[in-house]
Amino acid sequence: MNLAKLQPGQSGRITQIGALGPLKRRLMDMGVLVGEVVKVEKVAPLGDPIEITVKAYKLSLRKREAEGILVEVLA
Amino acid sequence: MKSQAALKINSTPPKVLTVAVAGNPNSGKSTLINAIAGTRLQVGNWAGVTVEKKEALVEYRGRQIRLVDLPGTYSLSPYTQEEIIARDYLIQARPDVIINVVDATNLERNLYLTVQLLELGIPVVAAVNIYDEAEQKGYRIDTGLIGQTLGIKAVPTVATRKSGLDELLDAVLEVGDDPAAHRPRQLNYGTDIEAAAGRVEQRLRELRPTAADNYPAKWLALKLMEGDRDVLGELDLPDHGAFREVLEHLKRAHGEDLEALMADARYAQAAGLTREVLKKPEVSRVELTEKIDRIALNRFLGIPIFLAAMWLVFKLTFDVSSPFSDWLDKTINGPGKRLIEALMGLVHAPDWLVSLATDGVVGGTGFVLIFVPVIFAMMFFLTFLEASGYMARAAFVMDRAMHAMGLHGKSFIPMLLGFGCNVPAIYATRTLENPRDKALTALLIPLMSCGARLPVYVVFVGAFFAAYSGTVIWSLYVMGLVMAVLMGILFKKTIFRGEYPLFIMELPPYRLPGMRSLMIHTWEKGKHFLIKAGTYIFAVSVLTWFLLNLPWGVESKRDSYMGQMGAVVAPALQPLGFGTWEAAASLITGIIAKEIVVGTMGEIYIPKAKDEPQEEPPSLGQDLKEIVVSFGSAAKEAAENIISFGSGKFSTEEKEKSKPLKSLLHKSLTPLSAYAFMAFVLLYMPCMVVAVAMRHEFGSWKWFGVTFAYQMTLAWLVALIIYQGGKLLGLG
Repeated sequence: MNLAKLQPGQSGRITQIGALGPLKRRLMDMGVLVGEVVKVEKVAPLGDPIEITVKAYKLSLRKREAEGILVEVLA
Repeated sequence: MKSQAALKINSTPPKVLTVAVAGNPNSGKSTLINAIAGTRLQVGNWAGVTVEKKEALVEYRGRQIRLVDLPGTYSLSPYTQEEIIARDYLIQARPDVIINVVDATNLERNLYLTVQLLELGIPVVAAVNIYDEAEQKGYRIDTGLIGQTLGIKAVPTVATRKSGLDELLDAVLEVGDDPAAHRPRQLNYGTDIEAAAGRVEQRLRELRPTAADNYPAKWLALKLMEGDRDVLGELDLPDHGAFREVLEHLKRAHGEDLEALMADARYAQAAGLTREVLKKPEVSRVELTEKIDRIALNRFLGIPIFLAAMWLVFKLTFDVSSPFSDWLDKTINGPGKRLIEALMGLVHAPDWLVSLATDGVVGGTGFVLIFVPVIFAMMFFLTFLEASGYMARAAFVMDRAMHAMGLHGKSFIPMLLGFGCNVPAIYATRTLENPRDKALTALLIPLMSCGARLPVYVVFVGAFFAAYSGTVIWSLYVMGLVMAVLMGILFKKTIFRGEYPLFIMELPPYRLPGMRSLMIHTWEKGKHFLIKAGTYIFAVSVLTWFLLNLPWGVESKRDSYMGQMGAVVAPALQPLGFGTWEAAASLITGIIAKEIVVGTMGEIYIPKAKDEPQEEPPSLGQDLKEIVVSFGSAAKEAAENIISFGSGKFSTEEKEKSKPLKSLLHKSLTPLSAYAFMAFVLLYMPCMVVAVAMRHEFGSWKWFGVTFAYQMTLAWLVALIIYQGGKLLGLG
C-alpha cells in the first residue's frame, strides 16, 4: 500500500520511503520518516495534491511524490 | 527599544555583534525581525540569487547589533537554494550569535533545525515564538529546560505583540560577549553514530589536515557521513569512498542509507526533547484552522472560494492603486512640467533643453512614480496572503491545473496579476521558492494581456470590428492564455527538461497578520523597487526621448532615430500585413509601454494643428490647489472602488480622441491585418518596465533575453499565420 492510495481520514504507518536523493531528504526533513504515523486529511478539489498530518502539522504533497511512500494501513 | 544603559568604561569599544536569524518558514521569523528592526530593515538579494536578504543595524542598550535574516528553512541539507544560502552564511561568515526562531505550536519539527544549528558550534539563542498561541492551545512549555538541555538560551516571545524581545536581545548580548561560556552542547546521537563520527574526524585529519581550520570538525564529520555533496566538493573529495572502511560498521548495523539514519537520529533528539519540555492538554479542541479548511479546501467549495479570493485580490490591487497612479500622472505631467518649464523660461534655456527636462526627465520620473502605488498595493496583498496562510491553500487548490503547464500551484497568483499589469506580476513571482518554477512563471507572465494593451485593442476594434468588439477583445485574452499553456508545455519539455521540482509544502495554521508587520514589509519592498528598478526605468525613458527627438530639429517623427528604426524594421512586418514605417515605429515606441502604440500612431498619422487655440496655463496657486483637490478625489475614488463591485471603466473621452485616427487607420489596414496587428501587440516583447523588473528580480538579463527572443518569434509567427491564413481563406 502506498500513501497516495489512502482515503481521506485513513491513517498509516510509514514502512519504507522509496524516493531517492533530494526528494527523500526533503521528505525526511519534513518529518516523513519510516515508523512515523501519518493521516490523509484531504484531497485537493482537482484530485491532486493531497494533505496529510505528520508530526502534528499539515503537509501537502503531490500524489506522484506520495506514491513512493509505502505504508501499512492503521484503521 | 531601550537604548539607555550604564556603559562601563572599556579600553576597547564594544564590537558590533553579528546575529543571524534562522528558523522554519511560518515560524514568525519575519514578524520578529520587523518587530526588532522596524524600518531600519534593508531588503536586498543574496549575492547571485533571487532569494530575498534582509539586514538591519539596530542599537540596543548602547550596543550595535547587525541582524541578518536567513531564508526560512526546515533543515540545513544541501538541496534547496534557501538551505544552501543559510548554511553557507553560517559556515563562512561565522556570525557571533544565531537567533533560532522556533514555533512553539510545532516544537518537534522546529527543534529538528535547532539540533542542526547546534552542530555548527555557534552560540544559539532560541526565540520560542508564537508562545501565546501555544498557551491558548493549553501547551505548557518549559523554556528553561530547553536552554539547559541544549546548552543555549531559550526565551519565550510573541513577535506580533513585541513581547519578550528585550529578554531575547539581553540573552543575545550575554552570549555574544562571552561565546566561550555559551558553546551549545553537542548532542549525543547514540554510540554507533558517535563512534563512526569520531573515526571519520580522524580519517579527515589525515586526508585534509587543514579542513578543520575552516569548519567545526564534528559538523564536517556528520556531513561527510550524510554524503553531503557540497561539503565533499569543498574538501575536494569525489565521494565519501575515502571513509568507506570507517563507515563499514555503521552500515552493517543500520543499512546503507546513512542520510536517513542521520535524519532519524536528529528527529529522535528533537522528539525526545519535545517530550521532556512540552505538556499538552489531554483533550485537544478542533482547531480554527481545521474548521476553516473544511470549507476553504472543500471538494465543491474550494475552487469557487479560491476564485472569489483571487477576484478580490485582483480588484483591491488595481482598483485601490489606480486612482493614485492617475493622480501622480496628472500632477507630474501637468503642474510638474509647467513648473519646470516656467523655471527654465526664467533662465532662458534653449528649447531642446526644456524639452529634455520636461518630456525626458520629468516624464521619466513620472513614469517611475505611477508604478509605485500598484507595486505597494500588490506587495501588501501578497504579503497578507502569505502571512495569513491562505497562499499555501491557493497553491494546494490550483496545483493540479498549473502543474499541467509545468508550473506550481503558487504560479497562479502572479499570472493573474499579469492581467492587470505585468510589472507587479513579475515581482509577485518571489512567492515561488523554486528557481525553476519562478523563471518559468516569469517567462509566461507577459502573455497575460495586461491593462496597457486594452487601449490598443479598443482603438482597433472600434475602427474595424465595431459590431462585435466584445468578442474580438475577448478572443485576444484567450489567445494569450492559450499561448501561455502551449509555451508552458514547450518550455517544460525543452529549457527545463529533466528538472522536476517538488511540491512538498506545509499548510501553516491560519493567522491574522499584524498590520505593523505588513506595513513594514510593504514599505521595504516598495522602497527597493523605487530605488533599484526606478533608476533603470528612468534611464530608459530618457534614452527613448533622445531616440524620438534626435537628430535635433526633426520636423517629422519619421526622420527621428526612432522613425528611421521603424523604416528599417518595416519590411520584416510586410508578410504580416502591416509593413509600414508608421506601424513599425508605433510598435517600437510600445516598448516603453504598450498603450503608447496608440499615442504614437496618433502623433504620426494626425499632423499637429498649428493654429490650435492655446489655453492659458493655470497659475502656480491654481496648480497647487488642484493637486490637493485631485488627491482627495483619488483617495475617495479608491475607497469607492473597494465598495463598488464593478471593475474597470472605459473613459468616453479616450474614444472621442481616437476618432480621427480610426478613419486614417482604414487607409493602411484591412480588418484582417488589423487583427494580425493586435495579435502582434499582444504577443511581442513586454514593455521595458517588465524588462527592468525581470532584471531586478532575477539579478541578470538572462530571463528577459529568453522572453524577448521567444515572444518576438511567437508574435511574428502568430501574426503571419493569421494574416496569410486569412488571405488564403479569402478573408483579406
